[in-house]
Amino acid sequence: MAWRIGVDSGGTFTDVCLFDDATGQVAVWKVSSTPADPSLGIGQGVAEGIERVGTTAAAVGYFGHGTTVGTNALIQHRGVKTGLITTDGFRDLLEIGRQKRPDLYDQHVEKPPTLVSRDLRLEVAERLRPDGSVETPLDQEAFRAAVRRLRDAGVKAVAVCFLYSFAHTDHETIAARILAEEFPEAFACVSHAVAPEFREFERLSTTVVNAYLGPVMEGYIQRLGRRLTEIGIASRPHLTQSNGGVIGFDQAARLPVRTVLSGPSTGVVGAQRIGELVGIPDLITFDMGGTSTDVALLAGGKCRLASEATVHGYPIKAPMLDIHTVGAGGGSIAFIDNGGLLKVGPRSAGADPGPVCYGRGNTEATVTDANVVLGTLNPDFLLGGRMAVHRDLAVAAIDRLAGPLGMDRMATAQGIISVVTANMARAIRVISVQKGHDPRDYMLIAFGGAGPLHAARLARELDIGRVLIPRNPGILCAMGLLLTDLRADFAVTRLATLAPAALDPMRAAFVALDAQADAWFAEEHIAPADRRVTRTVDMRYAGQNYELPIALPDGPIGPATLDALAAAFAAAHHRAYGFVAETDPVQLVTFRMEAAGVVPKASFVPQPDAGPDASAAIDGERQVWMPEAGGFVTCPVYQRDRLRAGNRVAGPAIIEQMDATTVVLPAMVAVVEPYSHIILEPDGQS
Amino acid sequence: MNDFGGATVSVDPITVEVIGSALSSIVEEMGEALIRASYSTNIKERRDCSTALFDLAGTTLCQAEHIPVHLGSFLDLIANITKRHPIEQMRPGDVFCGNDAYEGGGTHLPDIVLAEPIFVDGAIVAWAVNLAHHADFADRGHAHIYQEGLRIPPIRLYRAGELQTDVMELILLNCQVPRERLSDFRAQMAANRLGVQRFQGLCGKYGRETVLAAGAALQDYAERKMRAGIAAIPDGVYRFADRYDCPEIDGELDMSVEITITGDSMHLHFDAPKQVRAGLNMTMTATLSTVYYAIKSIVDPTILPNAGLARPLSVTAPEGTIVNCVHPAAVNGRLGPCQRVVDLIYGALADAVPDRVTAASNGACTSITFVGHQPSDNRIWVYLETIGGGFGARTGKDGLDGVHVHMTNTSNLPVEALEVEYPLTLMRYELVDGSGGAGQFRGGMGLRRVYRANHDCRVRIDTARLLSRPWGLFGGEPGGNADVVLHGGAVPFNHGNGGLRPGECIEVVTAGSGGYGPPARRDPAAVRRDVAEGSITKERAAELYG
Repeated sequence: MAWRIGVDSGGTFTDVCLFDDATGQVAVWKVSSTPADPSLGIGQGVAEGIERVGTTAAAVGYFGHGTTVGTNALIQHRGVKTGLITTDGFRDLLEIGRQKRPDLYDQHVEKPPTLVSRDLRLEVAERLRPDGSVETPLDQEAFRAAVRRLRDAGVKAVAVCFLYSFAHTDHETIAARILAEEFPEAFACVSHAVAPEFREFERLSTTVVNAYLGPVMEGYIQRLGRRLTEIGIASRPHLTQSNGGVIGFDQAARLPVRTVLSGPSTGVVGAQRIGELVGIPDLITFDMGGTSTDVALLAGGKCRLASEATVHGYPIKAPMLDIHTVGAGGGSIAFIDNGGLLKVGPRSAGADPGPVCYGRGNTEATVTDANVVLGTLNPDFLLGGRMAVHRDLAVAAIDRLAGPLGMDRMATAQGIISVVTANMARAIRVISVQKGHDPRDYMLIAFGGAGPLHAARLARELDIGRVLIPRNPGILCAMGLLLTDLRADFAVTRLATLAPAALDPMRAAFVALDAQADAWFAEEHIAPADRRVTRTVDMRYAGQNYELPIALPDGPIGPATLDALAAAFAAAHHRAYGFVAETDPVQLVTFRMEAAGVVPKASFVPQPDAGPDASAAIDGERQVWMPEAGGFVTCPVYQRDRLRAGNRVAGPAIIEQMDATTVVLPAMVAVVEPYSHIILEPDGQS
Repeated sequence: MNDFGGATVSVDPITVEVIGSALSSIVEEMGEALIRASYSTNIKERRDCSTALFDLAGTTLCQAEHIPVHLGSFLDLIANITKRHPIEQMRPGDVFCGNDAYEGGGTHLPDIVLAEPIFVDGAIVAWAVNLAHHADFADRGHAHIYQEGLRIPPIRLYRAGELQTDVMELILLNCQVPRERLSDFRAQMAANRLGVQRFQGLCGKYGRETVLAAGAALQDYAERKMRAGIAAIPDGVYRFADRYDCPEIDGELDMSVEITITGDSMHLHFDAPKQVRAGLNMTMTATLSTVYYAIKSIVDPTILPNAGLARPLSVTAPEGTIVNCVHPAAVNGRLGPCQRVVDLIYGALADAVPDRVTAASNGACTSITFVGHQPSDNRIWVYLETIGGGFGARTGKDGLDGVHVHMTNTSNLPVEALEVEYPLTLMRYELVDGSGGAGQFRGGMGLRRVYRANHDCRVRIDTARLLSRPWGLFGGEPGGNADVVLHGGAVPFNHGNGGLRPGECIEVVTAGSGGYGPPARRDPAAVRRDVAEGSITKERAAELYG
């Protein structure tokens, strides 16, 4: 059981990373994604990868997976037809939300489409009082009738959200039972099982997103599980959640809302580990794939973890890394808008048919085609020779844009790159400048298949001095899967005043959370020695509605626990807001447990310094259009695999590897550091 | 002394942009601190508060994207402070507090402002200010401002970091829910403290001259964008008239505007009846903040919210009218007429820029206030909330259903928070069928909210468009009007004021909004969707759309 496999499946490529626990050997493999059924491409990639490293499926001890299936279904509104049943009087809450308009000043911005149309939002009589006592019992027959109506309307998923269910689950529990009786084939979810926290709209929204994505993810996970079994992989597969940790497939299928940022979060984890390794804690991650680009900011090695965020317009209560996504990548299509301006994306040629140069029938120029025409990408083949490139087709596609624009071919191709670079710069400003961080204080870490290709120009645009290109930039997300612990978060809201009377409910809450965590540990086969739990309590002054997370001291819960919590809360409140309200009662609101299963991770060894001379890695030269140098220049082409630690490559130059191409601009130098990552910086600096 | 006004440091465009974004981040962070530390539902959930940074001259460096009408309380604030308190006597840690409409630059008394000078190297370089709508001063009269609550001119609440407890006690004794007020003041302090620290940090990093020069450059930039936008609108004189009604008065008030566009500048002249003995008069600062909002939204919504955008605009309105009231007019409900001023501006410019304006929105900031005694300890409770409505249809798009429009954008309160805090039960919260004005693009739907009192309480309801309907544009039909209905035997209200006994209900229906373009041109698929979703009945659809 020596091999660990990480698979990241994006809109364009599926990356497979194989790591041999015994020898530390890392191998990578990349295949085209199969968007209609991504599990096809994954099965193929894994089988090929296993064969390539000369092992067998039986030797695979771990399988980790990051996917964009959920997020893409949400962006493109390709979830299933979903029904909703709410407390009488509140079916429109899903649409009303918090009654705020989407933009304060712009009158033409739309709200995101409501995921359940009004005719499929039904109400039933039931009402609890805030203390959980029943004002109106659940009308079970009405609920049954509502379920039948939704079934007859052809919905595939049903969400149920009743008021106060976060604390008092009886009515939703009955609802879940009736749903299972009347409509067992539907993907059913009740709000307390998805996000047992107060504020009904956010809970409702989370539940509806979960239902909307449920059948999509469930079907996907089942297909993938079957395919892995066919290949012969016996280990339990895992999926990355939006918080960067991984969970088992079964849980992921039940709670797809927790994996909407699955794909991008793996890249952030990978970047984080590389930052640790090379000692650079302040990083901006730039993960540019074929269809979209994800950026995040790591300050002091940490990416902010939000317990709630708005994802593609929909509030979701689930722990998530703070990642910003834009719909532009290598496959993004360039076009001329009605005002006569050149625009790029968000429409993408994806993996199929892919860019024009793939020769699979697409005729609209993409960013990749522009790079092929400019010579920054290899004009003959990609993926280390496995994919032929038809430069003539790319040229013709660029020419079709150049005509109406009244520009020449090369200026048009370069214009596409400039537009994309500006889009990326704007995305990075959202997570840096707009949050008070100056990007000039950070290093850019560029990965994804297209990241290294555009990183140098993006850094110049943002005035960022240095760029790190990981050893295997195209598969960093897949690699990140081999660097992360198993992780699950459990929470329960139980309002109590900080006083001796709170001890019993607090103990009870943590006993319940412990049981959940233990069940999860057992499900994940995590040995007791590898189990870690972190317990926190969200606390506030009575009257506030926002809590501060306070770590629960280790050891048994007793009177000393209350004193410790009180002191820690006062300190945290003073730090955050500059005051302590000594006489005000303090409340315990939500008890949380983060359970982590420590797994062995891929480790890396530094390489000896081989000196600056990189000439042994030169594999040829080609003409590359570089406006920085005034036109076509002859660039040496280096093979990344032959570069050694300490080597220096002066720009202009191209560095090729199977999974990515790095552009070194004039007046820039690429230095290979001990772990074989490349650092781009202005020439003459180090 | 403190004069950096003539700073001539030249700043590169990237630095200007980075500092501009940092200023935006600072005011946003201030707002988050205010909301998170506060106790009152009006701040912590409904976010009825605003934060901003001002330069030494008292002009806006940056305003957070919270509530546009709050800008009105900031416009003359610094001038009103420095008029009473010489700048050279100010010390770090001084915090000024004020709310008055005639002595403090405020627009109504519940909006209490805290302003703190930011010192760098021993001199004031800017101001951190924030405003919280304290949901207090409830169940009062509105014949003149003396009935409406405690008037606070700008006075020191903190002196060199020391709370002036005498002042605080005076304020709290005049409030019905002093515990909430105290904690909201603390939250306001937290917000300014953060603003001061962050601004000082920014000056530490870039140098104060650079920061101030970038601030000035950002104002110039906003002005240039505003001028370019105005220049693109055809020169001419544009007029519009509308009527305003609310429960507080009988009948309707005529309001009108005349907009003159000459090149890259714009003049707006408003006319309206003499100020009334009711809480619906607008101070000139309220009118100005309304104009700045409306013109920015039409000309270019991306213009930075700083003082530069006001430079190409001039505004006049006769003194002593409801659009430019003078002492001692009552002002509590000024937001309703503010919303009508936006409608006037949109209506006037509809022919000039048909693709930038919307049909009339719900035209109100519907608000409802409950006051009672907690059954447990007999303490007074006050609950204020505002309700959105229809948002006007636009070129190419239906209007938005059930949102706050124009000068406000506060959140609703979750039912699960409302019922825990107050002896009320929310029975229904839904879109009002048929309230979106028909048209090629349908108007947005209004909201229905039904409350049941579980104990005796006093209630005040303020809304508009009870007597008229929000107009459509270019053949679009008007939206549904507002309504207030009592259930369970409640005694009829008098001019929006009344009481509820346990089990009695009040149903508030807000107006929808106008449609855009003739109904006959509506896409049949859209009509089918309207019918399927129940936003219009089949019969009505047949009648309107054929």
